[in-house]
Amino acid sequence: MSGVLVLMEQRGGAWNRMSFEALAAGQQLAAKLGLECSAAVAGDGVDALVKELAGKKLTKVFVIQHTLLKNYTPDGYVAALEQLVKKAAPAYVLLPHTYQVRDFAPALATRFRQVLISDVVAIHDGPVFVRQLLQGKLNADYKQAGAGPCFVSIQAGTFRAEDVEVGTAPVEDFAPQIDAVQIRSKPGEPFREAAQTVDLSAAPVIVSVGRGIGEQENIALVQELASALGAELAASRPICDNGWLPMERQVGSSGQTVSPKLYLAVGISGAIQHLVGMKGSKTVVAINKDENAPIFEVADYGIVGDLFEVVPELTKAVRAAKGQ
Amino acid sequence: MKILVAVKQVPERDAPISVAADGKWIDESSLSYTINEPDAYALEEALQLKEKNGGEVVVMCAGPERVTSTLREALAKGADRAIHIETNDLGQRDMLGIAQVLADAAKAESPDLILTGLQSDDLGLGQTGVVMAELLGIPHATIIMQVEVTDGGVKVKRELEDGWFQHVEMPLPALLTIQSGGNKLRYATLMGIKKAKTKETKTVQAAAVGAAPTITLERVYLPEKQKQTEMLTGTPAEMAAKLVEKLKSEVRVI
Amino acid sequence: MAAVVCVATVGAAVAAAFFYSGFHLSAILAEPEHFSKLEVALLLAGSIISLVLFFQRFGPILRTIFHSKKDADFSLRPIGRRVWDFFWEVLCQGKVIRQRPLPGLAHAFVFWGFLAFALVSLNHLANAVGLGFLNPASYIGEFYFSFAAVWAVLVAVAITGLFVRRFFSRPIWLGEKLSYESGVIALLIFLLMVSYLAQFFVGSGGIAVKAWWWTHTLTLLVFLPLIPHTKHLHLVISPFTVFLKRDEFSKIPPLSGDEDFGLVAGKDVTQLISLQVYSCVECGRCTEHCPASNTGKVLNPKEIALGVRSYLNEFGPASETPLLTEARTESPDNPPAKYMSMEAVFACTTCGSCEYQCPVGVQHLPIIVGLRRGAVNTGAWEDTHGTKLFLALEKQGNALGLSAAERDKFIQKQEFPIFDGTQEYCLWLGCMGGYDPRGREIIADFARVMRHLGTSFGVLKKEKCTGDPARRLGNDLVFQTLVEAGLKAFEIAKVQKIVTICPHCVRTIANDWREFGVAPEIEHHSEFMARHKDRLPRQDSGESIVYHDPCYLGRYRNVYEEPREIVEMAGDLVEAPRSHERSFCCGAGGGLAFLGEEKGERVNQVRAAELAGTGAKVVGTACPFCNTMFRDALASMGEAPPQLLDIAQLTARALPASERTGEQ
Repeated sequence: MSGVLVLMEQRGGAWNRMSFEALAAGQQLAAKLGLECSAAVAGDGVDALVKELAGKKLTKVFVIQHTLLKNYTPDGYVAALEQLVKKAAPAYVLLPHTYQVRDFAPALATRFRQVLISDVVAIHDGPVFVRQLLQGKLNADYKQAGAGPCFVSIQAGTFRAEDVEVGTAPVEDFAPQIDAVQIRSKPGEPFREAAQTVDLSAAPVIVSVGRGIGEQENIALVQELASALGAELAASRPICDNGWLPMERQVGSSGQTVSPKLYLAVGISGAIQHLVGMKGSKTVVAINKDENAPIFEVADYGIVGDLFEVVPELTKAVRAAKGQ
Repeated sequence: MKILVAVKQVPERDAPISVAADGKWIDESSLSYTINEPDAYALEEALQLKEKNGGEVVVMCAGPERVTSTLREALAKGADRAIHIETNDLGQRDMLGIAQVLADAAKAESPDLILTGLQSDDLGLGQTGVVMAELLGIPHATIIMQVEVTDGGVKVKRELEDGWFQHVEMPLPALLTIQSGGNKLRYATLMGIKKAKTKETKTVQAAAVGAAPTITLERVYLPEKQKQTEMLTGTPAEMAAKLVEKLKSEVRVI
Repeated sequence: MAAVVCVATVGAAVAAAFFYSGFHLSAILAEPEHFSKLEVALLLAGSIISLVLFFQRFGPILRTIFHSKKDADFSLRPIGRRVWDFFWEVLCQGKVIRQRPLPGLAHAFVFWGFLAFALVSLNHLANAVGLGFLNPASYIGEFYFSFAAVWAVLVAVAITGLFVRRFFSRPIWLGEKLSYESGVIALLIFLLMVSYLAQFFVGSGGIAVKAWWWTHTLTLLVFLPLIPHTKHLHLVISPFTVFLKRDEFSKIPPLSGDEDFGLVAGKDVTQLISLQVYSCVECGRCTEHCPASNTGKVLNPKEIALGVRSYLNEFGPASETPLLTEARTESPDNPPAKYMSMEAVFACTTCGSCEYQCPVGVQHLPIIVGLRRGAVNTGAWEDTHGTKLFLALEKQGNALGLSAAERDKFIQKQEFPIFDGTQEYCLWLGCMGGYDPRGREIIADFARVMRHLGTSFGVLKKEKCTGDPARRLGNDLVFQTLVEAGLKAFEIAKVQKIVTICPHCVRTIANDWREFGVAPEIEHHSEFMARHKDRLPRQDSGESIVYHDPCYLGRYRNVYEEPREIVEMAGDLVEAPRSHERSFCCGAGGGLAFLGEEKGERVNQVRAAELAGTGAKVVGTACPFCNTMFRDALASMGEAPPQLLDIAQLTARALPASERTGEQ
C-alpha cells in the first residue's frame, strides 16, 4: 500500500478539466505525505490524452484501454478500476467530484469495503479531509479509520489546474478483464435539450436587470456584460411588465425561481417578490446606486455606484480576464 | 410494478445550527426534522410512475421513532405502505453500514425498482443509492431526471454536466437516484392525511452494528467565513477590477 | 341612505294623503256583485292549475334545498342581528337602494307595492266565493284601497322604468343576453296594477268591472307559476335567505367529519348554499364590483351562484359528480357551467365586494372558498405557484419560503425585545413585516410610534404564518397546522394582546382561528394609533393623501374611520372614487399575491391608476400587501407617481428626529 493514484476523467477523447484539479490535489497530497503520485485514464482511443498526461510530474501513467470502456458505464468502470486499484495498491485514490465519479466511485469503494470521502473542499495535515455539511452551513473533518485504499473525491475549484506540476511520466498499459455480460446498462449518446424556452433555473450564471436601467435601450449594456460572462440575462418584474424583456426572463414570485452559482443584480432594488425568486443563488453581486437598497442585504458583494459607469467597466474587465 | 423508495429524515433546511458539546455533531435537542428534499423528488417520481403504470409504492426510512412522521407524510402524499427500519445508532454506522441496513430491508421486499434521492441535505455524501445497488447486485444510474418503463426494464434520462443529458437503458430490478427539480413536488392534502391513517407501517429492527466504520467524522465546526456583504469601493474601473478578481478566485465563474 | 328611504316613504305617504283627500269621493273601488257557479268553478280550476304549475317547480326546489347537506355550524343566534338585517335589507330594501339608488328605489316601490297589495289580492280572490273581507265602501276599505291605489301607480311607474332600463338602456351587469322572461314579468306586473286601478273608474255590477276583475285574476294566476320558473323565485325565498344567512361576513364554515373536504360534489352543498343560489336574482351587483370580472378574468361571482344552481338542477343535492367542470366526465350544456372552473375560483381575491353587495343574501365567499377547498384538500388543484406556496408554508412556515434566520436578523437589527410576558403588547410582524423590505420599514416605523407613546411591546421569538393564504386558497391541512402552532406559541408566551400592521393577520387570528381555540385579542395598528392620536404629533403638511381601504380592514372588519383619522393628522384626506365599503381591491388577497401572473389587466394597476388619478401627492395604505401591490403598479406608471406610505409611516415621519434615527 503506497502512493496516491488519481483517476482522471475523459469523455469522447476530451478531458473533464476538473481532472487536473484532482491531479493537483494528488500531487500536493503525495508531496505532503512523501508518497509517489500516479494517474490513470480509462477509455478507448485516448492516446492523445495519455501523451498530455505523460508530460506531468507523475510516477506512472496507467492507460486502461478496452473497447467496452469506449462509452462510460458504471459496471465497466467499476470492473476495470477495481482491477487497477488492486494492482497498483495505492494508499489514496483521488477523483474529481464529477457527475460520472458520483455514478461509479461509491460502488468502486464498496468493492474494497471502503467509503468514498466525497466532495472534499480541503485537505489538511493528517490527512484530514474537509467536507461541507448541511448545504455549507457546517464544515466537517473526516479521517480514514481502517486499512485499505482511501477513496476521496475533490470538489470543483478546490485546487487549481494551473498548479499541476509538469515533468515526464512513464506510461503503462493496463488491460482489464471485462466481459460484455457484466455491463448491464446501455448508455445512449449524450445530447442537449433543444432550446425552446429560456430555462433560467438551470443557468449557472445569471445577470439580472432591474428598474434602475431606466430605458429599454440601456438593456443592451447589461446584455453585453451577460455575454462576456456567458450568463443568461434575466430581469425583475417591472422590466418584463414594460415588455422590455419577455416574461419568461422574469425572476421572482410570479416568474422563475433560480439558484445559479452567480447572480449579478444590476439596478435591482430587491423587492420581496424578487428576492424569493433568487434567494437560492450561491453568490449574489449587487450593483445599485442606492446604498440602502434591500438587495445589498442578501448580496455577498456590493457595488454602490452608477450602473452606467460600472457595468461597461465590468464588461471590459471580464473580457480582459477571459482573454476575449 | 413494485417501487421501493428509500427516504431519509434530515434537519429542516432553515434550522439554526449549533455544534454539540462533543464537537462531533450538531445539537439535536431543538431541531425539527423533515424529509430529505431529493428523496421527496424520488417519492414524487415513484408516485408518478405508479399513476402511469400501476403497481405499488413502498416507502422506507431508517432511524429512531421520529422518522415515522416522515413516513406518515409520504403515505399522505400517496405511498401505499411504509417500512420503518428502527435503529437508534445511525451515528455509529458509516455510509456502508447504513446502506447495508437499507439493502437488507429492500431484499425482503424484492422490489422491481428502488428509488432514492441523489444525496442527503445533511451529510451530502451522495452515495447511499449507488452502494445499496452494489450490495444488492443490481444495476443503477444516478442523477436521473426522467424514468420511463420499457419492456422488462427502464429507460432513464440522466443529467450530465453543462446542460448535457444521456439516455440509459437497463433491466429490472434496478436502482435509480433521482435529481431534485426533475418533477414538481405535490403538496400534502387533508384527504391524503386522512387516508394515510388507514395505511400500514411495518417496523423492522436493523441488524446490530457490524464492522467498525472505515471513515470517521472527527469534528464539525462552523465555517469561518459567515455570509456578509462585502462592499467594493473605488472608481468604477477599480470596483470592476476588484469584482472580477472575486469572480475569479472566490466565485470561480471566470 | 336612510334619507333616501325616508324621502321615498314620506313621498308615498303624501301622495296617498293627497289621493285620499282629493279624490276619495269618486275613488271607490268597484267590485263585481255576483259570480256565477261557472265563474267560481273556472276560478277554482284556474287557481288549481296555477298552484299545480307553481309547485311543480317550487316543490323540487324546496326538496333540493331541504335535501342538501345540513349546515353543521348553523345557529339562529344572534337573533337580533338577523332581525335587523331582515328589517333593513328586506323591509327597507336598504342594500338594493344603496348600491343603485334609482333602479333600487324603483325596485323598492315594486316591493312595497306588493306588500300593500297582499291584502288586496287576497280580498280580490275571496270576493268570488263570497268571502271578501274588505268592503270598499267601509271607512277602512276606502282608505286601504286608495292607499293600495297609490302604490299601484308607483309600482306601474317603477316597473315601466325598470323595463326601460333592462330593454333599452341595458347596463352590462344584467348580462349580455336580454332576459325576455323579465319583460313578461314586467308586463304582468304592469297589467296587475292597471287592472286594479281600472276598477276605480267603472261602476259596480257592470260588465266592465267583471272584465277588469277577470283580467286582474288571470294575470295573478299566470304570474304565480312564473315565479318559481324564473329568477323571480327570490320574491318567495329571498326574505328567508336574508334572515338565515351566515352570521359573519365571508365566513368559512368548519369541515364536518372525515369525509368533508369542502365543496367537491353536490353532496357537499349545504342547505344555506342551496337556498342562496336559488335566491339569486341575477342583478349582477356582485359582478359589477368584482376585481376579477373587471379585469378580464374568467371569474364571475354571479355565474358561480348560477353555476351551482344549474348543477343542482341537473345533478341534485346528493350527487357525487364534481362541481367543477374540468373534473366532470361529461360537461353539461348549461352555459353557466363554463364558469365553474378552477381557473375561475382561483382568480378570486376574496375581497368580498360580491358578498357585501348582494341584496338577497347570497354569500359568495363560502362558496368560492368552499370550491377551492374541494380542489385543494383532494389535491385536484395543480398549480406551480400554489404548490410552491403550500410547500413553503409546510416547510418554512411562511408564505415567502424564507428562512426564519432572516427574521431573526431583522429583529436583532431593530433591537426589538422578545415578548416575555412583561410587555403589554405582542407586536406581530407577519410575513411582510418580518421579511419584506417595505413591510419591515412599516413595522419599524410602527415600533417607533409605540416607543414614542411609551407602550411596551415585544415580538415572538418565532412566528409562523397565520395561515391566511392557505385558508383562503382552501388548504385546510396547512391552515390547521399553522393555527395550532400559532395558538401554542401565544399560549407559551402568555400573550394577552396583539397588535399588527397586517389586516389579513388580524382577520385570520381574530376570526378564522376561533375554530381551533381562543387566541389573544388582536387589533390593527390603525385602531391602536387612532386610540392614541391625541398623543401623536399632528402635521400641517397640507399634503393631499388619498387613502385606500384594504378589503380585510374595511369590509372584513368594519374599520373605516380610524385610518382616516391618522391620515387626516398627516395631511389632507382625499377620497378615492371607490372608497369605504365600495373600495376596489389591490389584487393581493385570497392568496393571489403568491400565485402567478394574472390574465388580462392587472387588478393592482387598475386600482393604482384610480388612486393616482385623484391627483393626491401620497397614496396612504394600511396593509402591507396593498402597499407591495401598489408599489409595483405605481412604479410602472412613469413620471412622478404619488408617494406610497403606510399610515404608520405617515405618523412616524412627524416624530422627533431623535426617535427616528437609528436605521433604515
